[in-house]
Amino acid sequence: MGTTRGGWQVALRLARREAWRRKGQTALMLLLICLPVVAVTAAAVVWRTQDVSGVESIERRMGAADARLVAHEGPMVEQHFDPDVAQGWVGEGTRKPATLDEVLAVAGAGRPAVPLLRESRTFRTDAGVADMEVLTTDLDSPLAAGLVRPVEGTFPPGPGEVVVNRAAADRGPGLGETLTVLHKTADGEQEVELEVVGIAESAVSRGYPFAAGQPGTFGGSATHEHEWLLGGGPVTWDDVVALNRIGVAVASRHVLTDPPPDSVLTSGGSPVSSLLLDSGPDELTITVLALVVVMVLLEVVLLAGPAFAVRAKAQAHALALVAAAGGTPRQARRTVLASGVVVGLVGGVVGVVLGIGAGALAVPVAQRFNSTVFGPFEVPWPLLGVVAVFGFLSALLAAVVPAFAASRQDVVAVLGGRRGEGRPSTRSPILGVVLLGAGVAGAATGAVAGQEVGAVLIAGSALVAVVGMILVVPVVVAVVARLAARLPLALRFAARDAARHRTRTVPAVAAVGATVAGVVALGIAVSSQEAANEAEYTPLLRDGHGSVSLSNPDTDPAAVDAVLRKAGLDDQVEAITGLRLSTDTEEMELEFRQGEEALWLSYWSGLGSPYAVGETVPDFVDIAPAARERADAVLAEGGLVLLQDPHASEGSYTLPQLDGDPVAVDVRRWSDDLPEPELAATAEAPTVLLEVSGTATVLAVFSPPVVEDLGLPTAVVGTLLAAPISDETEKDVAEALAALPGDPYFYVERGYRTPDEVRIIQAVLAALGGILMLGGTLTATFLALSDAKPDLATMAAVGARPRTRRGVAASYALVVGGVGALLGAPVGFIPGVAISQPITKDPVTGTTLLEVPWTLVGLVVVGLPLLTALAVGACARGRLPLTARID
Amino acid sequence: MTDPVLRLTDVRRVHGTGATQVEALRGISFAAYAGELVAVMGPSGSGKSTLLTIAGGLDQPTSGAVVVEGADLTGLGLDARARMRRTSIGYVFQGFNLIPALTAAENVALPRELDGVPARTARQEARAALEEVGIGELADRFPDDMSGGQQQRVAIARAVVGERRLILADEPTGALDTETGEEILRLLRARCDAGAAGVLVTHEARHAAWADRVVFLRDGVVVDETGTASVDLLTEPAAR
Repeated sequence: MGTTRGGWQVALRLARREAWRRKGQTALMLLLICLPVVAVTAAAVVWRTQDVSGVESIERRMGAADARLVAHEGPMVEQHFDPDVAQGWVGEGTRKPATLDEVLAVAGAGRPAVPLLRESRTFRTDAGVADMEVLTTDLDSPLAAGLVRPVEGTFPPGPGEVVVNRAAADRGPGLGETLTVLHKTADGEQEVELEVVGIAESAVSRGYPFAAGQPGTFGGSATHEHEWLLGGGPVTWDDVVALNRIGVAVASRHVLTDPPPDSVLTSGGSPVSSLLLDSGPDELTITVLALVVVMVLLEVVLLAGPAFAVRAKAQAHALALVAAAGGTPRQARRTVLASGVVVGLVGGVVGVVLGIGAGALAVPVAQRFNSTVFGPFEVPWPLLGVVAVFGFLSALLAAVVPAFAASRQDVVAVLGGRRGEGRPSTRSPILGVVLLGAGVAGAATGAVAGQEVGAVLIAGSALVAVVGMILVVPVVVAVVARLAARLPLALRFAARDAARHRTRTVPAVAAVGATVAGVVALGIAVSSQEAANEAEYTPLLRDGHGSVSLSNPDTDPAAVDAVLRKAGLDDQVEAITGLRLSTDTEEMELEFRQGEEALWLSYWSGLGSPYAVGETVPDFVDIAPAARERADAVLAEGGLVLLQDPHASEGSYTLPQLDGDPVAVDVRRWSDDLPEPELAATAEAPTVLLEVSGTATVLAVFSPPVVEDLGLPTAVVGTLLAAPISDETEKDVAEALAALPGDPYFYVERGYRTPDEVRIIQAVLAALGGILMLGGTLTATFLALSDAKPDLATMAAVGARPRTRRGVAASYALVVGGVGALLGAPVGFIPGVAISQPITKDPVTGTTLLEVPWTLVGLVVVGLPLLTALAVGACARGRLPLTARID
Repeated sequence: MTDPVLRLTDVRRVHGTGATQVEALRGISFAAYAGELVAVMGPSGSGKSTLLTIAGGLDQPTSGAVVVEGADLTGLGLDARARMRRTSIGYVFQGFNLIPALTAAENVALPRELDGVPARTARQEARAALEEVGIGELADRFPDDMSGGQQQRVAIARAVVGERRLILADEPTGALDTETGEEILRLLRARCDAGAAGVLVTHEARHAAWADRVVFLRDGVVVDETGTASVDLLTEPAAR
């Protein structure tokens, strides 16, 4: 035991001194270990700071009051100690929300209380209308202090006055101007005009329009709940339970700060946590998270590996001397491992410290992109402890392979100045191939298993496949070196040198390989999912065209026309006449049947009604000329044209062929007065069913006689807008139409668009892949260059041009990046192809989609290594080492 | 008399500045002619290796002129001096300085390949040079798989390939046993007899005996340039 401790003491002392002696190399090792620690620490700090805990949110929820009370319609409330975390209603029947008197009778008479109301309203902007959050309370009251933060002008506002935040002011109603708030009531839409006397920000959110005023400022409320801020001293848990009995949920400052024990938090005999909607991460999430952490650890270890290998090589002669003097392989191993301990300890601690600093700098930046006001700056120490241990572990693991290599080195060869690395193991590549096979098998099993088990299996098999790939790397590097005989000098030298220094090369190649595998796997998954989404997408209109629905009788078509005219779209407008299916009191629904067999037509339309009326098929319906001729003939006979959009067909259902066959149309009427829909009319007409070649826009075209038979009213049900409609025009028109009565639905067909979050994921993937690949390649290249200094000096001595060093550097980068990418890409296909199956599976037909992003694959396999090589070649010092004493 | 292959005129080389300043060469002048092997002797720190690196264009003198085959190296840039080392100057080092990642033939072909000669031609020339030094059968071996003597033969082949006319050898037998060392010197001598000029840095008098002339250095100054008479004076005090 004593010997072991003593051995470690010596090893650690040597490692510490070596670290100090080789400062540049140590700095690189620290950088590689620190960077992920810094990144994770900074992210953790930002995450914990933006996450507002119950205690941190007290001021924004209740200002300076002792409690915030919400009286519900339910009979009794059961709540978590924080009602925003969980609450529920118990008991039979309904009751009116408790009044303030009832509340004070329970909480204690004489307590000061002010009403509080947060609601959503719309307001007039310079372009039309937009949504905003309004807060109504007695802003003069000390209880409300902290709910609103005054910035400029007068505070608090008086009657008829209001304060707005900067986001609202920027859209129109600035300081000294009028804020027009729109409010829908039972009597119709109400407009309230208020004078903006100040700019003030909400304590809860920023960037979203907000206004605050005294009670009653914004007109009547639609809510059936009552809410108050309560003062007069601490509201205890017993008070909370008593108030719950009269249907009042309570957020109490005292209870939030000093919560009651879990044992008293029960709901009908069960722990109140059973009310929680979110019961924390499930096993699947934890498993996948664990696999991700292992992958990240592996990547960091691989990235740092070359630096530790070079350090071990630098110590090789000293270790050989120690061995010659009687040192054991274990002592040699321990000496190299001690480097990992020293760098890991320093890297972990320094990384955490720097990460906290980076987090502090990142918080204001993150706040700028987040509408919720962050909590106070917070450092999650226990989590950061885990992150520091992660850094320590990664350094230790990065030193393991060099340590074992050092303990097996040929002492005589090293002392004789020859290479000391032993021959590569023959068992490792075999094990690697077995693991790759296991990865493929696991991924294939995961592809056909259920989504949850499948995801874990696929993620696990990806890890197994990557480990398998790492074990195969030495053989591949050796094969590349063997094949390099006919390559140009710089590439030949780089390939052979890489193979000679496997402990340095293998982790770098593997790091690039693992990165590429990850990028390819995620790229395939995202592309396949996107392909599936695109395949499912049904365009409502021709690409670039727009429509305005006029289904609501309150909407005045003339007002819509005026908006479109103002936007300069008046010469692109086509009014669509169709069946009006809704009135203020009832809704009509049409059903088509052939005899007794119902015809199921998929309903997709951006107009107010999917049924057009006309004597010919409108031009906006895309059908073949022959079909149009036939359809027009049927309409001329007083018939009906049904249109089938192949995009919109669902499942395996197929419609019968109809070519002048009689089809019955039933009109069913829905009304509040009727317990069930009733059959209002039926008509039969010769019908033709046609498949549209592009978009249908409507479901059917009725001839006037059929409409007459059914007794349905016709009207302008919508407006079609021909392309082009710019994004800016679309935004302006949408905002202007939203201000009209009836809120007419405006739609512009842009085809399938990749959601922003997918684009962000793709960009982050590409950036991360590029950075990791560049990092891995650069580290390995510059370590190799520093290692190859004597060889480069020799080259200089026999006449190499100064730029030869650049060529050698670029070749190193190409070998490391190219071999890594070539190995990593196929490995990435294993989980990528597998995961694409469950995520693209059509629930009805069971078909799956596989979309390989070949551009991305080409970019990472060919483009990135070449680009990296070029960048390295350009950045590398051109001058060859010319030492005064070259030997 | 014909022009020398190498001529050094009043060459000075000062390393460092101020208190750490060291004057390695103090106005050295000497020449080496075609067909001649010149031995440079002197104790450690006398400036032998500095002289050789300057003669090879690996280092520049602080002042003075270094002319190789009519070209003054002091007026040439890095690229031009590198070209001189590929085409006119061959180096042989004490530690062989072979590139371990390249085979024997590739090491020998290195200056030719660097000079833009097609790889196939360069390797043919390299094989011929290896045959000349007696190890043609080892052309495809890597340096790690060769003995010291074999490695030094490869180094000599590399120094002479491409018909270079100036061979600079810095203690080429220092890492070899007596017998192998003699073989190496015989090869050098043969090359000079074939028309090259050679400069052999050594501190062993028996090696200097292979030379036509011996130049004695001490503290950066040529103290004798006539023969071997003063060798005893120049040996290390401990060895006297």
